[in-house]
Amino acid sequence: MGDRLKDRVAVVTGAGRGIGRGIALLLAHEGAAVVVNDLGGAVDGSGSSSTPADEVVTTIKNAGGRAIANADSVAEFGAAENIINTAVKEFGRIDILINVAGILRDRMIFNLSEDDWDAVVKVHLKGTFNCVRHASAHMRQQKFGRIVNFTSTSGLYGNSGQANYGAAKDGIAGLTRVVSRDLGKYGVTVNAIAPVAATRMTATVSDQARETRAKRGISAGAPASRMRMEPEDIAPMVVYLTTDGAKHINGQTFLVRGGVISLLNYPAPARTITKLGRWSADEIAAIFPSTFGMDLANPAPRQD
Amino acid sequence: MSGMLDGKVAVVTGAGRGIGRGVALALAAAGAKVVVNDYGVDIHGNVPSDAPANEVVNEIKKAGGEATSNGDSVADWNAAEHIIQTAVKEFGRIDILVTCAGILRDRMVFNMSEDDFDSVLGVHLKGTFNCMRHACVLMRQQKYGRIITFSSGSGLFGNPGQANYGSAKAAISGLTKVAARDLGKYGITVNSIAPVAATRMTLTPEFLKAREIRKQQGIIREERALAQLEDLKPEDVAPVVVFLASDHATNVNGQFFLCAGGSVSLLSQPRAVKTIFKADSAWTLDELDEVVPLTLAEGLVNPAPPRE
Repeated sequence: MGDRLKDRVAVVTGAGRGIGRGIALLLAHEGAAVVVNDLGGAVDGSGSSSTPADEVVTTIKNAGGRAIANADSVAEFGAAENIINTAVKEFGRIDILINVAGILRDRMIFNLSEDDWDAVVKVHLKGTFNCVRHASAHMRQQKFGRIVNFTSTSGLYGNSGQANYGAAKDGIAGLTRVVSRDLGKYGVTVNAIAPVAATRMTATVSDQARETRAKRGISAGAPASRMRMEPEDIAPMVVYLTTDGAKHINGQTFLVRGGVISLLNYPAPARTITKLGRWSADEIAAIFPSTFGMDLANPAPRQD
Repeated sequence: MSGMLDGKVAVVTGAGRGIGRGVALALAAAGAKVVVNDYGVDIHGNVPSDAPANEVVNEIKKAGGEATSNGDSVADWNAAEHIIQTAVKEFGRIDILVTCAGILRDRMVFNMSEDDFDSVLGVHLKGTFNCMRHACVLMRQQKYGRIITFSSGSGLFGNPGQANYGSAKAAISGLTKVAARDLGKYGITVNSIAPVAATRMTLTPEFLKAREIRKQQGIIREERALAQLEDLKPEDVAPVVVFLASDHATNVNGQFFLCAGGSVSLLSQPRAVKTIFKADSAWTLDELDEVVPLTLAEGLVNPAPPRE
């Protein structure tokens, strides 16, 4: 057992399986008391079970750590408050919040139903907001807090068939950037992780879809045999961001895949055209190919 | 009239005022028939009115253009379908969708109510999705379409006090990137504008007061660009939208443009700026303690450092 997080109290949402489970175990290993939150539903958000969260708690306790299970849904404002209050009631405070909970309902946008949109945005984006909102009130008062949110390459780069998931995940990236500025001065840091790992969520991408993409030269994740993609590999960087050594890292996004960790850029002007006064559309059309157009490729060119 | 959009049919949401109004006028001037959609509410989303949309329609008609007004709320799935159907019923098709509709309810995150979060996301994010979803079905069938969404520097760069608005606008950027990839092969492009302009949403009493305090504290100087927000006209954003809606921009897809007066920038896509890697295993905490400060975190600046 390490002691980097001795006396700290953490909440990890979606901690029953996959990436969240790995984070909960490592936080506990470093001495934090952990609220293991998981609704225990299927990948598409249906059903619920307290078993996954209970199993992680048992694993932590067997290793000599402190943990308690919680099965509330992050998607409900009131239930999310109960998740945060579970930490306060059971362990006296909340220092660390890790927002991993999420579901998937992939569809091309022209076939995406209102319910598939709402359900995915509600768990990921609203769920992350709900937990951040309730935890931040405590963290601001105690002038200490560490929040790590989960964004995705799906939103950062755009994955076909994931309008709901990609929007929610890029929304979480925006939430992270805003909230890091709302809370930084109170000693709270807010960062985001874009993970790549083989879990039951990525297993939903069919072999056929992977083959089609590979033929077109579009990445759908290389075969697992060639690239390390263990869900447990995401945990060390997440836990590092909660330690005292990372107290100045705020408002950043890190891409983590196996032993590869990258700092991602903030968007910035890549090329600029300027004139005094207003451009006309004709002027822009004339200048575009020799300015902005030089850098551009259509990510999905027209198929005739 | 430049005629760049002759024969095209456009829907502009939030077109009753500000940037959306400028876009509707410019699209019409370029030859497009325009559905001028505006729910007509105040900037917090209250008190609907038909007047703003009707005024813009009158302006377009007086200038010799074609337009019809619509007062539906983009935030409602079925009402959004009705907005798109208005284009089909009145003008026979829909070629161009520009989603400007939005509201603001700024609060620090620890004081933000659930309703303030839901309302802002409902209009911006769900509203953009709703209109896009209904329009793209028709655009896919006709193998032609132009969708221009509105993102914001608030979500891309992070503005304090806007957890709702920044989330919604960043989510629109994710939606834009995915939709560009879902729809590109059907001859549809999806791009986004991050505008900076003086409108009722930006030149708020709170903004003017905050700017005055910053000036007094010497944090911003008079000559800085921020101090001249009033000079950045909402109409300045429209020419880029007209260009993106035209056949000149057939292969411009999934891109983001920052528009502020006469300054137009193509924004960079996300990319790794620094990477550490191990070939065969994950990093351990001991290793990260040692390596991260010298690599990934080297030179990082906390955008809101703690006040002791």
